[in-house]
Amino acid sequence: MAVAAVHSGGIADHIHPEPQGFVRRYVFSLDHKIIGIQYLITGFVFFILSGLLAEAIRTQLLNPSGGFVAPGTYNEVYSVHGSAMVWLVVIPLLTGGFGNLVFPVQIGARDVAFPWLNMLSFWIFPVAGLMLFSSFLMGAPTAGWMEYPPVSLQGAAGTSMWAAAIFLVGVSSTMTGINFVVTILKMRAPGMTFTRMPLFVWGQFATAPLLMIATTALAAALAALFIERQFGVPFFDPTKGGSPVMWQHMFWFYSHPAVYIMILPAFGIISEVLPTFARKPIFGYKLIAFSSMAIALAGFMVWAHHMFTSGLAPFLQLPFMIITYLIGVPTGIKIFSWTATLWGGKIHYTTAMLFAIGFVGLFTLGGITGIFLAAIPFDLHVHGTYFIVAHLHYVLIGGSLMGIFAGMYYWFPKMSGRLLNETLGKIHFWLFFIGFNGTFLPMHWLGVLGMPREVATYDPQFTFWNRFESFSSYLMTLAILIFFVNVLWSIRYGKRAGANPWGARTLEWQVPSPPHYYNFKHIPTVYGLPYDFSQPLPYTGLEEELTDSPPPVAAGAN
Amino acid sequence: MAERTAQPARLGRGFWAYTAILTVAAVAAIVFWYLFPLERYLPAAIVTARQVDTLFRFMAATGSALYVFIVGYLVYFAIVFRAKASDAPDAIGVQIHDNRKLEFWWTVIPALFVVLLSIVSVRIWYEIELEPANGLVVEAIGHQFYFSFRYPQINGEVTDEMHLPLNVPVTLNLTSADVIHGFWVPAMRLKNDTVPGLVTTIRFTPRLAGRYPIICTQFCGVEHSDMDKQVLVIEDKDSFDRWYKGWQQKNARAGNALPGAGGAAISLQGGDAAAGKVLFSQKCTACHKLAPFSQTLVGPGLEGVLHDSNHPNLVNGQAANPADVASILENGYTGSMGAMPNANSNGLSQQDIANLVAFLNTLK
Repeated sequence: MAVAAVHSGGIADHIHPEPQGFVRRYVFSLDHKIIGIQYLITGFVFFILSGLLAEAIRTQLLNPSGGFVAPGTYNEVYSVHGSAMVWLVVIPLLTGGFGNLVFPVQIGARDVAFPWLNMLSFWIFPVAGLMLFSSFLMGAPTAGWMEYPPVSLQGAAGTSMWAAAIFLVGVSSTMTGINFVVTILKMRAPGMTFTRMPLFVWGQFATAPLLMIATTALAAALAALFIERQFGVPFFDPTKGGSPVMWQHMFWFYSHPAVYIMILPAFGIISEVLPTFARKPIFGYKLIAFSSMAIALAGFMVWAHHMFTSGLAPFLQLPFMIITYLIGVPTGIKIFSWTATLWGGKIHYTTAMLFAIGFVGLFTLGGITGIFLAAIPFDLHVHGTYFIVAHLHYVLIGGSLMGIFAGMYYWFPKMSGRLLNETLGKIHFWLFFIGFNGTFLPMHWLGVLGMPREVATYDPQFTFWNRFESFSSYLMTLAILIFFVNVLWSIRYGKRAGANPWGARTLEWQVPSPPHYYNFKHIPTVYGLPYDFSQPLPYTGLEEELTDSPPPVAAGAN
Repeated sequence: MAERTAQPARLGRGFWAYTAILTVAAVAAIVFWYLFPLERYLPAAIVTARQVDTLFRFMAATGSALYVFIVGYLVYFAIVFRAKASDAPDAIGVQIHDNRKLEFWWTVIPALFVVLLSIVSVRIWYEIELEPANGLVVEAIGHQFYFSFRYPQINGEVTDEMHLPLNVPVTLNLTSADVIHGFWVPAMRLKNDTVPGLVTTIRFTPRLAGRYPIICTQFCGVEHSDMDKQVLVIEDKDSFDRWYKGWQQKNARAGNALPGAGGAAISLQGGDAAAGKVLFSQKCTACHKLAPFSQTLVGPGLEGVLHDSNHPNLVNGQAANPADVASILENGYTGSMGAMPNANSNGLSQQDIANLVAFLNTLK
């Protein structure tokens, strides 16, 4: 009878008891919070590996004649660095990691819609990551993360391994996308209307359809590349009737939306951190939410701006240029709104807040150079140069990675129950900020003056700035080392956080740190936006969350 | 509650004075970009390079001004509105959610700026597109790991340097013999990929004599980094003619670069020219025109391939004969003119080849 009673309550009250045993709890877990932490740990391990590859790149470029590694090895190093940072670090950390960890609690759900699918999509990810890194054993891919054929058809056997690995990551992403869309559409707590969702949820809601739809184009391209390399069916080889430009269309039809997969969740993180520490409602909630959706939609219509030099008909290029310019408008709205959120605040300088403010400053620079690159005449000059390298790192490090760090300092107490050390955090921020700008700012003028990307050796006239960049990049590495020391130290010895160390108002902060299995004793009811600091919390049904009352699990329910 | 609520909205101490400083800084940034001597660092070798610089100055100036304001206010708000030691620990900021007017203007002004930027960049794009289409035809062919060049209107010599006469419009056709390369001359502010099986075209007019590096910008294999050693030489017409003559003499001694007949001989008996003509329209016209040699589509024009002396000679110095053409059809071709699939991938039988050769032989 008890079982029937529990089950008859519908999804919201459908509670199974917490699984016992290490393997069920922490390895093959169905709990979205554990899966989120698994994603974060795995993603940061791959981050360390591909960060070391980045340092190998910068060490090679200390001298114009290279000399740290052979040119062939260098090509493998930067190709795996790029692929791993995109597919094994930034995307999984922001979607599988922070997405899983935070948004189901923020919408008042007990878990994601499909926990088994969630577990499966996580476990594909480390396997695919190991496959990608194992390609070093058989000759890793060398043609960058874009692997344009025909040169990628000539690559060593590792290129096929690369294609298989990225295909699997794509499968994992697609499943995560489906899971998140369904969860956000169907599992919000009573009263959690779309216009009451926290902006991090909006970020995930804009990202998930991109994961779901765009990744299929990449999967098709990768399958074709794999088949052509292994079985000789000519999709891309022009001497056998294939089209090398077709790869570029398929690749960028995915990889431009992927740029937004890598930034929209970070926008969401920033939109949570800024109001919390400015003690103010986010400025222009509706426009920020709407602009995320606009960016996601327009992201499907601009892929050919990566291909202005590929021989497209000239008049076909114009709409891609202009639509890309237009994306600047919703992006600008966000930047202005974040700046306005600071106005009139009572700003608390936690490390998370420093990273959030740093994000706005650095991402804006990457956004402005993005407009430069959309202008066809200027793109014909700087396409394929260090100007692109500078732009993409301002967006992906100054943007996505700063967002990831802000998220780590902000939500670490929620996942571990302990605060990260703020002193170490501030040293981390300032070293990282200085090292980052020193590494990537000079790349802008190196590119304009004539340094192409993806080279193991370069013209000696660029030696000074390359050395400057390399030494700055070592500063960044030191900063990241401090971050990891901080994480490992704080897990054991950090200050106890309590449920809500930041005085934040979204739902995840109204439950204990870490939250119970199944998140809520009772599903709360939501009455408004979470950002009104002068009002009482807009939730009811949370009274028992921080008390010792037993969780409502029927004994023997299974 | 009363002491928790923040003071009524104030723009902040010294807001307008600070805004004035930001305005000065933004104007200074604009002046800086319009005065910056770009050409001292990177000469403008062709006419449209200066147009690209104009666009760059416009974007750099407006972008810098915008950036000064955004970061300026970001830093200013971050300092002025920091929580002070004298504030109550639970003090909150001004509880303002949005401002219709502000949001309207920061949507509309950027949108208008997008219109302006689109007009400016389409105009400059159009000027580049307007470069004359009937200029001196030059072909650049990407190889692993160098570029070769041909001058089909002069004599079709294959050279490893690119020389161009001053002030003569140029039509540069780009293709590749193997993988995708990027043909970039930074001093031209212009590049295009060389794609195998595809001819892309850029048009420009050299305006400044000098030697400018040619750099490959698409990763093309293990020696990609070394593909920056060749130069574009822009010089006056006389020097250009002298240089070209020198190449011709050198080439006459070394022989030209088309492969001769090789492999098993193909029986050309019983070739049916009429059947060959049909086949040509099915299999060949995607890449070859029935027009003089210089009219390249992907491969060269094939009118008079076996009878017209404008077609380049073979490696052995002899004019092409039907067996040579059959050999290319059978084995395909990879070299200075690009890449052509072999008979197997084109789906040509021995009889098809005989028919095609018979047809090509009828073209005078």
